[in-house]
Amino acid sequence: MNRGLIIGLFLCLSFIQITTPLSMIIKRESVLKAGAQFKFKTTPVDPYDAFRGRYVALRLEENYVPAVKEIKLSRGRTVYALITIDSQDFARFTAVVTARPSDKPYIQTKVLYVTGDKVYLDLPIDRYYMEETSAPAAERIYQEHAQRGKQDAYVMVRIKDGFAVIESLYVGAQTIEDALRQERKR
Amino acid sequence: MNKMGIKWLYQELPELITKGILTKEIADKMRQYYGEVKSISKTTVMLIILGTIGALLIGLGIILLLAHNWEQFSRFTRAVLSLVPLVIGQALALWVLWKRPQSGAFKEGSATFLSLMVGASIALISQTYNIPGDTGTFILTWMLLIIPLVYLMQASIPAVIYLIGITAWSGTHGDNPVTSVLFWPLAAITIPHFIWALRQEMYALRAALFSLAMIICVSYAASFSLGKTWPGSWVIIFPSLYSVFYFLGRLEVNKITTNWQRPLRLIGAMGLFILAFLFTFRYIWQYLDEYSYITSENIAGISALPDYIVTIAIIAGALLLFYDKVKLKNITISLPGAVPLLAIIAYFFRGQSIVIPLTIFNVYLFILSLSRITAGIRGSNLAVVNTGMLMLAILIIARFFDSDISFIIKGLVFIIVGIGFLVTNAILARRMRGAK
Repeated sequence: MNRGLIIGLFLCLSFIQITTPLSMIIKRESVLKAGAQFKFKTTPVDPYDAFRGRYVALRLEENYVPAVKEIKLSRGRTVYALITIDSQDFARFTAVVTARPSDKPYIQTKVLYVTGDKVYLDLPIDRYYMEETSAPAAERIYQEHAQRGKQDAYVMVRIKDGFAVIESLYVGAQTIEDALRQERKR
Repeated sequence: MNKMGIKWLYQELPELITKGILTKEIADKMRQYYGEVKSISKTTVMLIILGTIGALLIGLGIILLLAHNWEQFSRFTRAVLSLVPLVIGQALALWVLWKRPQSGAFKEGSATFLSLMVGASIALISQTYNIPGDTGTFILTWMLLIIPLVYLMQASIPAVIYLIGITAWSGTHGDNPVTSVLFWPLAAITIPHFIWALRQEMYALRAALFSLAMIICVSYAASFSLGKTWPGSWVIIFPSLYSVFYFLGRLEVNKITTNWQRPLRLIGAMGLFILAFLFTFRYIWQYLDEYSYITSENIAGISALPDYIVTIAIIAGALLLFYDKVKLKNITISLPGAVPLLAIIAYFFRGQSIVIPLTIFNVYLFILSLSRITAGIRGSNLAVVNTGMLMLAILIIARFFDSDISFIIKGLVFIIVGIGFLVTNAILARRMRGAK
């Protein structure tokens, strides 16, 4: 191969290499700008990822919907989980449908497993990345908070066309970052 | 003839001419016949190694720095930051392609660095936008974005990174063989590069490194993706794989001489011996069906087809390569490759008889070690004799501790083998004396 052709092909590859992460950014930015806001109750715990760093693992309190006998759902099947807002202003899943809904808010997700009368969902809201030292501290703050009988951690999510992007994590009325800052001052 | 030998010959030629043993014309003809010895200086090799390790360390260091997750930066800053290492890596690689297209060290180093920066970039975006923890998709995206570098920059470390990456990806789908079997076509993308690397005499190291990565990755991927519908099939799949490695290592594509430069041949043969040795134990055949890694999900019909195709291709490849060597009547070379065939025969007796598989593999290992010993004696190669002896010793010691064979039979077999040893020894000693 001559040098010109190699360089030409390399430039094409570079373009693809750049557009992949760039499109990841643009898609999420557009959701964060234009998506509707929802609050999901959650429990944060602290694991570790060698490449992507420390994060708080999120477990949504209600990650299932009642099973409907008419629809057979197997593991890994793509479904659309419908969202409603309860009296306390928290979002919860009411049902899953297999066709993309047009008028109701929803998240596109996959079936994790089905047991008895519940369909568990493999929700795309499972990690909140934090600075190395902050993630364990965040978990501790949540635990202390929970012991005082207030299990009101929630994650603020923006959703547009079924695609969810996490905005921030709240413990009580504060974002987790503010709670950490306050604790460090003390 | 190998490179070292020709070099030595060329060093001797002037002296031979001055002493009148060869005429100058004959010496020139010899030079013409053997051709020029291309040699690569030690400094160049060191440059490639150090340059690549340097690029690898810096790349990994950047990934770790980004993984710290700098929360004082705004989302916009981080989005920009995540593209910066990628652009730097690309600029570096482009400069190398433009200004130093001949330099192996520069190409290997910059391609390695760029490969890591692609991963760093995607990782930082995952972090900034809290992208769900789907490790498989993260790795696969990364790997597909770097594989063209292997060909555009003729770089082997990115190929090694790619192999490790797709193996890990296949592992994340270990419970879903329908997906993980895609490892094989993905791995096949590296084959032209591998053949090219083998042909590059000056890069024996590169080919050795790549073969090593391939052996390890393919072994893992086989356990992730193959034989899921077929209980106990590993006793055929793994010998076939190692047999293919062994025979590929035997191909004379390159004039490399040492074992360490031929990991395919060395590890292939060792793997075959270890497997055959395992097959001489009763429990392997007794619990064959229970040892299989059938997944909870039942795959059958069309979705099991890729699994079957890859499995059959590997087994057929092993048998064909074996047949090819048997045709040449070179027993010492072809014998290690008999394990897959014997495993197939033994597999058919599973459940009905345990004695038949055990007998097959005990006799086989006995013949294998004897063939090594005799080949070593014939070629007066003590190292080969000793490996044969070692193999035989391992087999005998294992049988001595087998509890389920009666003492009488064990005793008789030991005595017969011992007599056999003394007799062969005596015959060989007489023959060697006669030769002198």
